[in-house]
Amino acid sequence: MSTTEPSTYTPDIPSKPVTKTTPSIHVELTPNALNPSTATAFVRSPSAGATVLFIGTTRDSFNNLPVSSLAYTSYPPLAMNTLYAIATSMLTKHELTKIAIVHKLGECPIGEESIVIAVSAPHRQAAWRAGEEALEETKKRAEIWKLERFEGGEGVWRANRDGAMGTKVGSEEEKVKEENK
Amino acid sequence: MSAAKAPPGHFSILYFAAASSFTGKSSEHLPAPVSARSLFDELEQRYPGMRDKVLGSCAVTVNLEYVDVEDGEDADRAIEAGDEVAIIPPVSSG
Repeated sequence: MSTTEPSTYTPDIPSKPVTKTTPSIHVELTPNALNPSTATAFVRSPSAGATVLFIGTTRDSFNNLPVSSLAYTSYPPLAMNTLYAIATSMLTKHELTKIAIVHKLGECPIGEESIVIAVSAPHRQAAWRAGEEALEETKKRAEIWKLERFEGGEGVWRANRDGAMGTKVGSEEEKVKEENK
Repeated sequence: MSAAKAPPGHFSILYFAAASSFTGKSSEHLPAPVSARSLFDELEQRYPGMRDKVLGSCAVTVNLEYVDVEDGEDADRAIEAGDEVAIIPPVSSG
């Protein structure tokens, strides 16, 4: 299916943000634009001397191919469980004060935020490490999928785990996934 | 997101990303019970070529728990009427 044709696949996304919040954890999947300062404000605490904020924005190319648009889809109930499990594990492992993980769903214009992770900890080392690990775990495990549409209309499902393209949308015969894991 | 409730004697199956593109659907209802081990055969029959092109790299959840449909004790369990099964291709958040 090209971007100019009605797609048989319609990313099915919640119309409102899906959130789970405790005093120290906030995880969210949202169709709305992400607001990094909201995540930062959530993790701010008098007992934390360090806050690390990661903002992931959508890139305009993949392997030098121009990407014209991106959309994220998810299995929200499962992805929320996974994000919450990641947040809980980071909190314990790095003795964080608070953590927030927020991911965009649906269309995400090029150059806009697709993921925001904010962590706070008493000291900077733990905050740096936890921020990085939370992102890597999320990319590895959260049940969220990115559809990249290339200029010219072709859509491709990305797979994080091998850094290669996934399956082209609507042209299964031309699977371009490289076996370079 | 979740499929409508399955009719009696059926389970719901959700397809994401490449699985959705391949089947042309985001969800459907299939007759229950079926053993976890035979799920991919069942799907291959309905969507020829799906095993090689899609399912080989996919995980499966039943009621939000990952199930190894190819090996071990998990594979012997039955997917029952009313269960929510999902085909989970390699993820790509971030």
